[in-house]
Amino acid sequence: MTAPLRDMTPAERARSTSFYEASARTRLELLLDAGSLIEFIGPEQREVSPHLRIFDLPEQFDDGIIVGHGRLDGSPAFVAAQEGRFMGGAFGEVHGAKLTGLLRAAREIGTIPVLILFDTGGVRLQEANAGELAIAEIMRAVMEARAAGVKVIGLVGGRSGCYGGGGLIAGCCSALAVSEFGRIAVSGPEVIETNRGVEEFDSRDRALVWRTMGGKHRRLLGAADLFADDSVQDFREAALELIGLVGPFGLDGLKAEQERLADRLRRFGACLDAVEIWTISGIAHAETIPELPTDQFIALADRIGRTSRDAR
Amino acid sequence: MTGWQNNRAARDERIAAGAGFGHGKVVQARDATRLLEAVIRPGDRVCLEGDNQKQADLLSRALLAVDISRVNDLHMVQSGVVLSEHLDLFDRGVAKRLDYAYSGPQSARIARMLFGGKIELGAVHTYLELFARYFIDLTPHVALVAAVSADREGNLYTGPNTEDTPTVVEATAFKDGVVIAQVNEIVETVPRVDIPADRVHFIVKADQPFFVEPLFTRDPAAITEGQVLTAMLAIKGIYAPYGVQRLNHGIGFSTAAIELLLPTFGERLGLKGRIATHFALNPHPALIPAIESGWVRQIHSFGSEVGMDDYIRARSDVYFTGPDGSLRSNRAFCQAAGLYACDMFIGSTLQIDLQGNSSTVTTSRIAGFGGAPNMGADARGRRHPSVPWLKAGAEADPDGAALLRRGRKLVVQIGETFGDKNVPLFVENLDAMELAEKLNLELAPIMIYGDDVTHIVTEEGVANLLLCRTAQEREQAIRGVAGYTEVGRRRDHGMVERLRERGVIRRPEDLGINVLDADRSLLAARSIKDLVRWSGGLYAPPSKFRNW
Repeated sequence: MTAPLRDMTPAERARSTSFYEASARTRLELLLDAGSLIEFIGPEQREVSPHLRIFDLPEQFDDGIIVGHGRLDGSPAFVAAQEGRFMGGAFGEVHGAKLTGLLRAAREIGTIPVLILFDTGGVRLQEANAGELAIAEIMRAVMEARAAGVKVIGLVGGRSGCYGGGGLIAGCCSALAVSEFGRIAVSGPEVIETNRGVEEFDSRDRALVWRTMGGKHRRLLGAADLFADDSVQDFREAALELIGLVGPFGLDGLKAEQERLADRLRRFGACLDAVEIWTISGIAHAETIPELPTDQFIALADRIGRTSRDAR
Repeated sequence: MTGWQNNRAARDERIAAGAGFGHGKVVQARDATRLLEAVIRPGDRVCLEGDNQKQADLLSRALLAVDISRVNDLHMVQSGVVLSEHLDLFDRGVAKRLDYAYSGPQSARIARMLFGGKIELGAVHTYLELFARYFIDLTPHVALVAAVSADREGNLYTGPNTEDTPTVVEATAFKDGVVIAQVNEIVETVPRVDIPADRVHFIVKADQPFFVEPLFTRDPAAITEGQVLTAMLAIKGIYAPYGVQRLNHGIGFSTAAIELLLPTFGERLGLKGRIATHFALNPHPALIPAIESGWVRQIHSFGSEVGMDDYIRARSDVYFTGPDGSLRSNRAFCQAAGLYACDMFIGSTLQIDLQGNSSTVTTSRIAGFGGAPNMGADARGRRHPSVPWLKAGAEADPDGAALLRRGRKLVVQIGETFGDKNVPLFVENLDAMELAEKLNLELAPIMIYGDDVTHIVTEEGVANLLLCRTAQEREQAIRGVAGYTEVGRRRDHGMVERLRERGVIRRPEDLGINVLDADRSLLAARSIKDLVRWSGGLYAPPSKFRNW
């Protein structure tokens, strides 16, 4: 039985709170040092989407994203967290502009890392043009910030995963941490099934979805650098570790990343299922990976050792 | 010529006509349609086994393909109309008349076909009622059933999903009907004999296992905090004071929340062993944490549930299992158990009116009744006493003579005042009334009659209708927990307050429940994966419920 919340220390709360289940606000509150979050353009300013009302859809005063700054283990950090329960965390005009602005501020300062807590299905259909433009602006802002020396860390472990433009932005980050529930991809399962048929991808086969797009596969492929258990505390520790690990950004790193991806395609491009990839990677009993407990999986992933640390 | 064994002679003729299509009783799947054309006569009553879970799907497709100059105008008498083929039969003219109980996934299409006059409707039944009519006036001429395996003599192993099969076969085989079974495999020896061979006339080997729907799996991840709150209110406001030990749960998320709160909230209230020990219930995965924590002593089941087989096998102290170790379910017996041997039914519904009548029918969907009306009804034939039953009886009639006073079954409707898509749970008039008028039905399809309902639980509180003395009090008690729905806003505030003083309505604070404590962290499992962990890896959820 969990003790009443008021009797717990912040660290205990972060340890006992599921990142997957928590709201964007709770995630940030527990991820950062207690009481350190200062929000920019908070809900009290009611910067709502100018488009949703045309469709008679409910608005949210923060447009589904919180941006701000706070402290992580005493050091300053910029943060952004998408609320996956509002329109699936999708990018719209205001939502996107808040993240772009945060990244540009980080670029100007140059030394403070940015944490992006992704939880998104991609671009909002109701404001698709503005949303697509926002994705492009954010990708540019991420790269400019990184070029200015900023570490941009993505954390993926929410209900809506990290899809569409979110998947593209995640690919631009300095490093990613993902939990088992986290999914990272561009086209979602239903989109693939709709366009290519159920024989290509059965979106209702959720085990297939997870072993193709889920956290464990992304970690083993080296697309994510760390695998976190699901508590907010686990993500906090992963964020701290990644900030310590990320090296300088430059042409050499990009070339290494290009080579890493080309090599991945050469080795695994013909595989029909993630289990084949894991087997080729030298994992015995690869079919048991989805059932593996977190600690055993992390040990295995570290042993396989594939990571993009030298690349990106 | 008059005689006294005409039906038997007719049955033997049918069997002889079908005998040419196989070796002994065994018929190949490709010959199934020809077999049915030989055995079935126009206008026959046919039970095509469609339960709410398992489906004789191969035989459905075979029947749909018959030559309609030979087989037509059938009268289908089956508990579940679930597959699209079940309704295609009526579109093609293979079948004409229908008596059934449940039509979950086909509820919209069946409504359209009834409006369009494609189906001649006998009646929509409860399970037990339809089974009863199998033995009186709806006895099948031919039964098409599904089993896991058969031996060459025709002994059937139905596996954990026995469900309706014994009842259907009993009614058909012992009244000169023909029984045809589709089986997943033919074996030397069946693991156990669920249906003896002398009641089975033909066996068709299916190329694929029969379809089973995981109908009773509720993903804990989708339980809302509102549902956690109503579960807390139900446990503290009803289970505890009545000491309800023998009960049935509906299949919604509200009752799944209760199942998941027993080992946490229930434990904290010291209720273990005092409530929720004996169930008439399918093997709900959501009950695993309560079972593992030692809450549940015994469960009898209507059917099984996909993924629960190994868990059930390993927990035979709790479930009913055969000599082979696998679950033996039986819908008819479990319905009888729920009706006569349980002191409470608790479940959700779509609409409740001012008298407490409830219905899951909307003007465009006719989902049928299934088992809820049997579970959610006072059994007038009940004679054995129990604490909750007597206490409820006394609340309803405090001045009656104790030795002559009937007890009352607790029939609880639980839900949030605004349901899925913000549709209000409470209405002035049920959609079922409008439907009955449009279809010229003699009875509106009411799931649970208001005079059977004893309690209504919403996030606003618990209304105890047993304590209402007039129709007006009853209406205000319902309005008093109807929240901000139109029905709730039209309450008489003074009267609702007086009802609260009398304990007819109890708010969360009256029960010592802080609404802010209704948090998902109270759930013993918050995901399907948590359930797998609780089961020690024995529960194997279907892929559609996984997020790993």
